[in-house]
Parts: sequence; C-alpha cells; structure tokens
Amino acid sequence: MPKLHVRVQRQRPDTQARYDHFDVEVPDDANVIDVIEACWRQDQNLMYRHACHHASCGTCAVRVDGKEVLPCIVPLAACKPGDMTIEPLRNFPVVGDLVVDVSAFFQRQAAAGMVITRDAEETIDGHPFEPSELLQPDGKLERRHYNRFENCVECGICLSACPTLSATDGFFGPAGLAAVHRAWEKTTDETERAALLDLADREGGVWQCHGAFECSEACPQDFDPAGAIMDLRRALIRRKVGALFGR
Amino acid sequence: MPAPHVVIVGAGSTGSACAHDLALRGLRVTVVERGEFSNATTGRNHCLLHSGGRYAVTDQESAIECIDENLILRKIMPDALELNDGLFVALTEEDLAFKIKFIAGCAACHIPYRELTPAQALAREPLLNPKLLAAVQVPDGVFEPWRFSMAFLASARSNGAVCRSYTEVVELVRHNGSVTGVKVLDRVTGKTETIGCDLVVNAAGPWAGEVAGFGGIEVPVQPTAGIMVTVGRRMNNMVVNRLDKPSDGDIVVPQRTTSIIGTTSWTVTDPDAIDIPPQHIQKMLEKGIELLPEIATVTTRGVGAAARPLIKRARQDERDVSRTFECFDHARDGGVEGFVSISGGKTTTARGMAEKLGDLVTRKLGLSVECRTRNTPLLSYRLFYQ
Amino acid sequence: MSLHSTNRARPRKPLQWIDVRNRRTGMWAFALNRVTGLGLVVYLFLHFVMLSQLFVGRAAWDSFVALARSPLVLAFDVVLFAGLIIHGLNGFRVALNGFGLGVRQQKAIFYGLMAVGAVLLAASTVLIFTI
Ligand SMILES: Cc1cc2nc3c(=O)[nH]c(=O)nc-3n(C[C@H](O)[C@H](O)[C@H](O)COP(=O)(O)OP(=O)(O)OC[C@H]3O[C@@H](n4cnc5c(N)ncnc54)[C@H](O)[C@@H]3O)c2cc1C
Ligand code: HEM
Repeated sequence: MPKLHVRVQRQRPDTQARYDHFDVEVPDDANVIDVIEACWRQDQNLMYRHACHHASCGTCAVRVDGKEVLPCIVPLAACKPGDMTIEPLRNFPVVGDLVVDVSAFFQRQAAAGMVITRDAEETIDGHPFEPSELLQPDGKLERRHYNRFENCVECGICLSACPTLSATDGFFGPAGLAAVHRAWEKTTDETERAALLDLADREGGVWQCHGAFECSEACPQDFDPAGAIMDLRRALIRRKVGALFGR
Repeated sequence: MPAPHVVIVGAGSTGSACAHDLALRGLRVTVVERGEFSNATTGRNHCLLHSGGRYAVTDQESAIECIDENLILRKIMPDALELNDGLFVALTEEDLAFKIKFIAGCAACHIPYRELTPAQALAREPLLNPKLLAAVQVPDGVFEPWRFSMAFLASARSNGAVCRSYTEVVELVRHNGSVTGVKVLDRVTGKTETIGCDLVVNAAGPWAGEVAGFGGIEVPVQPTAGIMVTVGRRMNNMVVNRLDKPSDGDIVVPQRTTSIIGTTSWTVTDPDAIDIPPQHIQKMLEKGIELLPEIATVTTRGVGAAARPLIKRARQDERDVSRTFECFDHARDGGVEGFVSISGGKTTTARGMAEKLGDLVTRKLGLSVECRTRNTPLLSYRLFYQ
Repeated sequence: MSLHSTNRARPRKPLQWIDVRNRRTGMWAFALNRVTGLGLVVYLFLHFVMLSQLFVGRAAWDSFVALARSPLVLAFDVVLFAGLIIHGLNGFRVALNGFGLGVRQQKAIFYGLMAVGAVLLAASTVLIFTI
C-alpha cells in the first residue's frame, strides 16, 4: 500500500483558496480518484465530484500536479510517487474545494444542441459498417447502425486548459464549439446548418480561438475540439467567400 | 392552499425519478443529496438497461418490470441511451441446456428475443469467443447513469422542484410521533438548517437504514457490494451476457469507448468503505476473457464498486434476494407518520418505482392525482443547469 | 440563448494566459506570439519617438544615429528581429490554421517555421554586426 502526501486546494465561494495536507494509504493499483476518496474519508467536508469511475460521466475532472485529468482513469503508477497536489479546474467558478460550477458550461452545451448519441462509424474490429438487424420495441427487426454515446463526456477539461478562456469568459469554449461542429456535421437540414454556423460566427465564437490547441492536447477522450473549431472556420470562410461572389 | 411539500433524501436514480414523479403530480418537492447528484450506487453501476433477460428464468417478477420500463424509457429518454440490444451467449453444454429455459422465460415475460447461430452472432460481435455454441438476442440497452438521473432531475426542476447537492441530512425532525422535516448540513456554507415538510421520502439507497436511524426508525436494507472492471478499449457492440443463471462476471456492458465487466456480490456493513478484494478484479477479467478473449490484450482502465440497496430477508443467499423494490410506509402497524422509504430495485426500473411511491405518497396526503411519467418525455440532462 | 453567460469565473489570476507550466507546444506558441506581439507594439512606439527626433533637428538626429550604432543597441536590434521573426512566422501559421489549413500538422509547422526563423535570425545577426 503506497503512502502518499496529498495537498488539496480548499475553498468556498467567499474564502481565499488554501491548501490542506492529507497523508493517505491506498492500494497499489489505485487510481487518483481513490486518493481523493481517501482524503474525503478523513474530512467529509471535502467537496469533490464523481459518479461513474470509468470516464463516462465526466464529473470528476480536476487538476493533478497542475494538469487537467479525469482522476478515475489515472493510475497512481502514472503519477510522481510520494506526493501530489490536487486543485479544481481553472476558468470555472468554484463552488467548494474541488467542485466547480458547471451551469454556464452546460447552458452553452445545451445551446450548441448536440445530441449525445450518434451512429457508430465502424464496427468493433475496425471495419466499415453493414447495418445490423436490431430488435424494435415490438419485437420486429430493423436494419440500422449501432449507436454510440458521443466520445465527449463534457468534463470541462478543455475549458480549463484553454488560454483564451483564462483571459475572458466571453468565449464559447472548445467543448461548446466542438458540440456545434458535431451538430452541424450531423444534420442535413440546411436552415439548421446555417443557424449553427451563425452561432459559431458570433462574437465569442470560433474567431476568438487563438489556436493554442491545448484543448485537444488535454482531452481525455481524444475528441479534438481544436480541429472542430478550425473546421468550422473553414466552413465559415467558404460561406463568406461564396457570398462575395453572390452564392 | 399551497401544494403539500415533500423532501426527498438522496438523489440516485430512485430519488431523482421520485422527484420527477411527485413534481409532475403538482407537489412541492425538495431533493437533498449529500454529494454530487447520482454519485453513489447509481453513478457507479453497470449501466445496463435491462431487457429482463437476465432474470427471465430466476426472477420473472423482476424480468417483467425490466422489460416494461425498458420500453417506456426508450420513449421518454431516447437520446440518452445506446440501444444496441444484448446477446446471451452459450459457451458450454450446460449453457446450451439453459437456453431452453431461457427462451421459455423470455416468452413468459413478453421479452422479444431471437435465436442466432454462432456464425450470425460472430458477424454481429466479431470479438466473441469463437467457440460459442449458440446465442440469443434480446433488447438490452445501455444508459449513462449520471445523465440518466440528471434527466429526471432536470424535468423535476422544470416543474418547480428544488434540488440541492452537497446537502446532507443529519437528523429527522419529529413531532408527536410523526416526521415533520429534516435537519440538513450544507457543505458549502457549513451551516445546518431545518427544512419543514409534510412528508419525507427516504431514497438514500444503501444508506436508507442510516437515514431512517436518524429518526429512530428501522429499515431492513442490506448493502450488497459489487465491482465493475472497465477495460481500455470497447470490445463489443452489444451487451454480452453469459447464457446461464446470474453469476459473477457474466456481463460485459459496452459503453462509449470502453467495455465494463461485472459484477460480483458480497455483503458490506458500511457503504462508504467498500474495500475491493483484489481477487474479485482478477475474477472479472477471467470471466470476461471467457466471453471476449481479446480482453486479455487490453489494459484495465478503472475499477469501481457500489453497494446495492437490497432489502434484507432472512436465510437467503445474497444473489437470491429479490431485485424488485419495496416502498415502506412507516405509519403501518402504528409506526411513524410522515416518513416513507423506497429501496431496492434497479436504475432501469426507477420510473416504475417512483410511480408506486407517488401513488403511496399522494394517497397518504389525501390527493388523487394520476401518475403521468409514463408518457411524458424527459428533458435533456443539460437543462438541469438552465 | 446568447453566447454570454452571467456566471463568471472570478476572481481570475492575472496573467494566467501566459502560464506555460504543464502545457504543450501550442500554448508556448501562443504565449510567445502574444509576448512578441506586445513587444513589437512597444518597439513601434519607441520607433516613433526616435523618428520624431527628425523634427528636432539635424544635430539631434546625428547623435541618435551614433547611439544606434553602439553594440548595446545593436544587440537590442537582434532581440527585436528575433521577436519579429518569431511573431511573423508563427502568425503565418496561426493565419493558416485560421483558414482551416494544416490544422492536424500545426505542431510540425510550428517547429518547421521556428527552424526557418533560427536560420533567418542567425543571418540577420551577422548582417547587423557587420554592416
Ligand atoms: C454493482 C452494481 C451494478 C448494478 N448494475 C445495474 C445495472 O446495470 N442496471 C440497473 O438498472 N441497475 C443496476 N444496479 C442497481 C442500481 O444501481 C441500484 O438499484 C440503484 O442505483 C439504486 O439507486 P438509489 O437511488 O436507490 O441509491 P443511490 O444511487 O445509492 O442513491 C442514494 C443517494 O442518497 C445519498 N445519501 C445518503 N445518505 C444521505 C444523507 N444523509 N443525506 C442526503 N443524501 C444522502 C447518497 O449520496 C446517494 O446519492 C447495480 C447495482 C450495483 C451495486
Ligand atoms: C510580420 C508580420 C506579422 C504577422 C504575420 C502577424 C500575425 C499576427 C497574428 C496571426 C496574430 C493573431 C494571433 C492569435 O490569434 O493569437 C497577431 C497578433 C498580434 N500581433 Fe502580429 N503579425 C505581424 C506583425 C506584427 C507587428 C509588426 C506588430 C507590432 C507592431 C504586431 C503586434 C501584434 C499584437 C499586439 C498581437 C496580439 C497578440 C495576442 O492577442 O496574443 N504584429 N499577429
């Protein structure tokens, strides 16, 4: 059982941030979430978010030694031994300790309108799809593609990593713009597509990105929000140039 | 006269669905949850939207509840589910013998099913153990537990419910033999306050016994833990079950980019201190490899454990304890008024459980309002934050 | 729903946008670009101050030119050139990416352009001190 000295940022909305120190012992194969839980067992006033423990709900995101991670899937073996500093995400208002206020974030996600499931692009062994025969509620068979939850778990890590957001709250943010991109890719309805591009084109939209690509670097799910932003820019430029020539 | 006020303790799938049910019936609802919403059993469960197939032989009451709710959830939260069906796979001659009972069970519980040859099964699920002898397809699905609960809470909130996380019940307020409110500790402000109400619903899952105990009331909940092992790659399109009586490590649930192997079952005393026995992890991997041999080649991504809030009954093996839920009215047999506990069940059946609870609560409060959750589409979980 | 929300992450730590600890190439590129951009603005201002010496008269201008030839000021010119080269070349990459071009290759483009920049800077240093 490795012993660990943990510094955890403690804060309430009306107080200055400080660090509390915990000495914990966790199993060899523990993940960082188990370390946080061990601290909580010592002090139940410690506020942190968690639910699924397998990188699907996206609630637990924090900064470990300065880097944004989902602690539920980071093994201790991947961290430096002996001690660890745990802090809340940046660029979010702090509710308490490691808990940040995600309301503004989810309001933007809702505005972006991405549906969280999609058709699977390829089979498990990497082949292109043949629609499968799946059961309908009435027991009849229907040929359709398997569906998948989107890879983005809406954990907020990309917002914390984004240098633009550390300078302004006005920016829609990588996850939100990636969601706009996804929604735009998925729909074939031309008015809806135009409205989504308008959303991306507004102040605070894709043009406010400074292209540091930190969002895509930090994403625990390989979602590439920066790529999505640049893709939207290209679509917007095409539309604007097209408009110049009366198209 | 203002509508009666109900406080719900605990916002797992059960408490969240109850909040939606009661708010939709026009009651004033306050939900208090000591941590993040859905952080406990619900958040960490196996994510299987049961078709009922798993219980079609051993517990048909549960099986029927599951298929009924499965079909309702497809209508009311369609965009938050992965609906790829499930396969029950026979690997041995005993499994094959079980298939006859299984199919009879599905038919008895109106669970749609389809028999597949090994070749058909492998075409759908290329990483299955190629030695399989037969497979049966049923309408299993996958949910994402946190979003599942948040969809119910978002809908409850749009109907006026107040939902407070990081707010822990520390005492039940009693007056002349009935419960008249709860005393809560707000972890953000550090202050305690009393919330008065007409009725308290105890939906604290494996902590239901502890919460009832705050008012000197007894609830026979037996926390029974189970583990889930998540691997570093998605191995299956559909849910893959072993075609056999429910046992350890017999389901691999795919979700997003991962597959989750589960589960085991052992009794714990404190649901806050579940220490995972390392041999359980090993067992999950071994069992998972029997179904999907390629699991041997991938890394483990995470291990989690949660405790089922099962109802304690004398002299039974843990796995035989009924999975269906119970709603206790503590006023029965001259007990305490104003306090109702709801426990057991599954996330899949949360809406149905809430319907029963809503019927009981409205009856107790002298109201007659119908449950409408069956046909009311839920809001997106994101709208909780609106 | 507007893009702006009332919910703000205050108080902010000033200069967080320049904090490159634990960050990768893209953040370094962005921070460098911003610092050099601001540096160039400051220089532009100084440059105007200098040019305004022309209005003062020939003597003032001559003494300025003499100063400009001192090794210290020449060294400053190298820093200026470094800033201009880094900012200009990186700005070229940002503009490309902004058009949706070379997005997946952004790191390689950055390193490539910086290599070109290093060569340019070496050449210009030699020129500055020899002419
Ligand atoms: C290992 C495992 C796998 C499972 N897999 C599946 C599956 O695949 N599909 C399925 O449908 N079901 C599954 N289940 C069953 C399902 O998860 C549970 O039945 C369900 O989540 C119970 O929900 P709940 O709301 O009753 O309990 P919980 O989710 O535990 O909610 C109780 C809540 O009460 C809160 N609380 C406790 N004390 C207090 C207090 N004093 N004040 C305020 N709040 C308090 C807790 O924080 C908690 O959030 C599984 C269960 C387990 C254990
Ligand atoms: C050599 C040609 C130049 C090119 C190609 C160029 C390109 C760019 C680009 C693309 C940006 C946006 C960067 C981003 O989005 O983060 C930028 C920003 C900026 N540039 Fe330039 N630039 C050039 C010269 C200059 C000069 C001469 C000055 C000073 C007088 C200057 C000052 C600035 C400033 C202050 C910024 C804002 C920095 C920021 O917001 O991070 N640039 N430049």
